[in-house]
Amino acid sequence: MKSVSRTLITLTTALSHRSINPNPKTLISATTATVSLRLNSTTILTQQPTHRNHSFASMAAGDSSPTSAAVEKQFDEFRHRLEESGSLRDRIRAVATQIESTTRMMHSSLLLIHQSRPIQEVLEKANTQIDVLKELFSQLAEIVRERPGEYYRYHGDWRTEAQQVVSLFAFMHWLETGELLIHTEVEEKLGLNASEFGLDVEDYLIGICFMSNELPRYVVNQVTAGDYDCPRKVLKFLTDLHASFRLLNLRNDFLRKKFDGMKYDLRRVEEVYYDVKIRGLASTGDGKGEQTVQEA
Amino acid sequence: MYNVQELKLFHFIPSWYCQMLHNWASLQRHIHLMAPKSHRIRQLAAAEATMQGTSKKPRSISTEAPAAADTPSSSMKHSFSKYAEYLNQLNDKRERVVKASRDITMNSKKVIFQVHRISKNNKDEVLEKAEKDLSAVKDHYIARLVNELQGTDFWKLRRAYSPGIQEYVEAATLCKFCTTGTLLNLDEINAMLLPLSDPSREPLQINILDYILGLADLTGELMRLAIGRISDGELEYAEKICRFVREIYRELTLVAPKMDDSSDMKTKMDVMLQSVMKIENACFSVHVRGSEYIPLIGSDDASYTLLGVPNFE
Repeated sequence: MKSVSRTLITLTTALSHRSINPNPKTLISATTATVSLRLNSTTILTQQPTHRNHSFASMAAGDSSPTSAAVEKQFDEFRHRLEESGSLRDRIRAVATQIESTTRMMHSSLLLIHQSRPIQEVLEKANTQIDVLKELFSQLAEIVRERPGEYYRYHGDWRTEAQQVVSLFAFMHWLETGELLIHTEVEEKLGLNASEFGLDVEDYLIGICFMSNELPRYVVNQVTAGDYDCPRKVLKFLTDLHASFRLLNLRNDFLRKKFDGMKYDLRRVEEVYYDVKIRGLASTGDGKGEQTVQEA
Repeated sequence: MYNVQELKLFHFIPSWYCQMLHNWASLQRHIHLMAPKSHRIRQLAAAEATMQGTSKKPRSISTEAPAAADTPSSSMKHSFSKYAEYLNQLNDKRERVVKASRDITMNSKKVIFQVHRISKNNKDEVLEKAEKDLSAVKDHYIARLVNELQGTDFWKLRRAYSPGIQEYVEAATLCKFCTTGTLLNLDEINAMLLPLSDPSREPLQINILDYILGLADLTGELMRLAIGRISDGELEYAEKICRFVREIYRELTLVAPKMDDSSDMKTKMDVMLQSVMKIENACFSVHVRGSEYIPLIGSDDASYTLLGVPNFE
């Protein structure tokens, strides 16, 4: 076999002239597909010795060829830049985790509201965390400021935390004043500068939807504790809020889903209000409620 | 005609509105006697429009405190109308960007198809046309995208324009490889995009991620090209593609896990490996089975042709 092929190499090199510059005659003679395929394979075959040499050469020269060096250089740079971005992300995640645990503390102290603790006492406890959050958000802003214009590249790493913060702040604000905490007020509370590190409006709106989810439970527990006027106030607030949300043209995204869920909160509060009213508790119970929402 | 009773069932419509509609409906009945039908239809449409407008008002929940209901909600509404404006603008912009991106994708695909029309004898003219089409894509469609994006939009709306940019990267790198045999760098592409944007604005610069994702797709196209070249007898060309693709795959293995959304990239890497292996297998088949033909030169036996190139795409 070996000797046969060796003798053939001389033959093929002789033929290779013809095969590299395709001979018009062979193309014409290729009348059927099978024949032309066969001819193709003979051309491939005849190229083989030269090609083999070439692949050996490229293997030896391989990495040192100018193009692959340029390719390598570019990808090295990519790797470097992506690593940088990755470590920035790690730092953001670290702060976001702290924000998360702080909001958890805040949430747990706010949960006392369901156990009929006085509003002022509950708020005072929760308020102690605000400064911590403020500090954490300023850290976050500082990290993100290192990469101007790339706010939204890393946005996903803190947005759920930011939404949670909005929801808690808005709930506290509502307990205190009976009104909705607006977007700029949240930024103010967190000490954010909207021009360089603001709160995304969609995050704000999602956070507000989270707050609405808290309200049915609050109403139920307030009524149980004897505050029969609470459902009326909550219902009014939630109705206004729901109506305001209807002003927005939403896309089919997460915010839309949360907004769609808000009507169930509204319905639940309506039910409680109905239950209280139909039994005539609302009118008699006005003075009884001790933990009533402070009037604005 | 609207049934006023029925409308009352939609409890979010305030009762005064139903009353108004009732009055209007009776008025309408009078008009109907004299007005032509088309006129009436227009009025109906107008009524519908006002109904949609008013239905967004909050319903008055109870009769207990109708006066107080208005004050806080109007301030709430004021801030929400600002959010609405923000969201509308953002969504409109996103929509325009998606559209621009889709146009870029479509036309870049055409460039890629043009490159695939390559054959042994027409390389120069095919590639010349491809290059021309490619710069048309840039001057026409990418320029439109550039005008939409500003500041933080580059990252905020990245999902909206990324597919188009990836396809463009794919087309541009494919053209470049076919003409010069080298990889078109990100810096080179970005330098070409610079003249598109107004000097006063921040220029659109393709980010590393989209470039890499585009490169990952390039492998698929190069695989098709390599198979085409092999069946055209240009084994040397196929070998060149094979080396190039291997090189890219090798480089990307180091970069891929560090990407922002590496799960997306991971599937692309798997597809890429498939493509690389397809090219390698095709080269291998020609290489190995080619030698089986050696004793057959000059023979008329056509049955061996089936051993040539297996059925790759």
